Amino acid sequence: MHHVHLDNWSRGRSPLHRRDPRAKILALIVFLIVLATTPANASLTLGIDAALLIAGILIAGLPLGELLLRAMVVLPFSLTFGLISWLAGDRLRALALIEKSYLSAAAVLLVVGTTSLPALLSGLERLGAPRMLVLVAQFLYRYLFVISEQAQHMRLAARSRQGDPRFHRKGRFRAAAGALAVLFARSYYRAEGIHRAMLARAFTGRFPLLGSLHFRVADGAFLLAAAAFLILVRVQ
Amino acid sequence: MHIPDNFLSTPVWASLDAASIPAVALLARRASRDLDEARIPLLGVMGAFVFAAQMINFPVGIGTSGHLVGGALLGCMLGPAPAALVMTAIVAIQAFVFQDGGVLALGANVFNMAIAGVLAGYLPIHFWGRTKRRKQAIFAGAFLSVMASASLAMGELLISGIAMPRPLILISMALFAMSAAIEGAITVAVVEAIERLNPRLAQKTHASSGRAIVLLSAAAILLGGVGFLLASSAPDGIQQIGVKLGLAAKTGFHAPLADYSVGLFESSWLRRASAGLAGLLLIYGVCLGAGRWIGRQRSA
Repeated sequence: MHHVHLDNWSRGRSPLHRRDPRAKILALIVFLIVLATTPANASLTLGIDAALLIAGILIAGLPLGELLLRAMVVLPFSLTFGLISWLAGDRLRALALIEKSYLSAAAVLLVVGTTSLPALLSGLERLGAPRMLVLVAQFLYRYLFVISEQAQHMRLAARSRQGDPRFHRKGRFRAAAGALAVLFARSYYRAEGIHRAMLARAFTGRFPLLGSLHFRVADGAFLLAAAAFLILVRVQ
Repeated sequence: MHIPDNFLSTPVWASLDAASIPAVALLARRASRDLDEARIPLLGVMGAFVFAAQMINFPVGIGTSGHLVGGALLGCMLGPAPAALVMTAIVAIQAFVFQDGGVLALGANVFNMAIAGVLAGYLPIHFWGRTKRRKQAIFAGAFLSVMASASLAMGELLISGIAMPRPLILISMALFAMSAAIEGAITVAVVEAIERLNPRLAQKTHASSGRAIVLLSAAAILLGGVGFLLASSAPDGIQQIGVKLGLAAKTGFHAPLADYSVGLFESSWLRRASAGLAGLLLIYGVCLGAGRWIGRQRSA
């Protein structure tokens, strides 16, 4: 599955992996804003941005082809709208939509591929995201794959029962609703169990951070260099 | 319905980011006031449940199938503010981990799906959820939830100047209405099944909600309706509005900081970008400061 690759990628040991998540998030935002405001006909700027991205992927030691392939998940959406714009006569915008949305997705992948999700979330919390939201997102990511696996088992079980001709459409609809209800109830009981386990381990309402974040000089230098380069290329 | 980056014009994504940051802060505050900490794992696991629920297919016609979107179901089961918070976490994880929706467009997606979607879906349930018409209320809520998010996304794309021919807009609006009806049917069936399975789950999980949430929900429905009307009745008009808004934003954006930045930079892009960024930073700073201040008030 998708996440396994991302988790493996983020365990690397490149200079980009070592940067503080806050520096990477802010650099990503600068990159995205510069890209979003670049006019569609500035192909030199777009080219330099793409080259910078590829350099970043190589420095991080991530598999280039695989990452570029993965960034294509945006293409169905942007190709559709690109085609519509093309047919409406706005060819420049059509090309820009496809190029720029693809580059943005690749940039996000580079940051997520060099930062583990817990680190990314605690970076966001240090940048001021509400603690409650960060906690919910942490639990969500932790149990996403547990509950998804349960759903997959239930889907497999439902599929292997569907040979029955008596199982017409209305029956299948109700069966799917029942399956979701069971999944809901199981998730609910699991959450209660999790909370009891947390209390048993002396949870105080706050998660202790293992290996706290440090914004070092190198992180500041990285952020400044990346932002200055991007802005210079954009303004040139 | 997840808008990727570079589909929205800068004034649109920037103002929606600026609207969503304080809104999410407010919802997080309300959710943490309504709930004890025991519910935090519950919210996270419920988010995982909504993710996983997409794997269960519902047959809805010849060869087609739909799946649960979940905004109204969460609103019904958890109450509006916690449900909006869970949806925000879902949309954020989708943007970062699955590249489903952009990062700059995160504010827009959160606004459409987590804030407007959940609140619009909650309103009928708030008023008729405990009467005889509970089933209809849940259906209406799920319908409105999907409709509001889709209309808003459509309106935002049109205002950003994405050209779409009129028949295409009408067809996609009809498709949205269909998937909204499917969401309604699925949500009603799932809520009924949950109540049959264990009535305690449906009753215990209902948090109370204040007048502010009800007003916000009505506003969300209204906004969705405006988006729908604009998109379906005057697609040419909306593009003109977009152009005018863009011009207004361009002239209005750098006004406050213009004198200051002219001397420093020659580039008009840099001037506008820094002025826009300063605006965003100001909102960010105010939210951060307000959060700290309220936090201190509460602990004191």
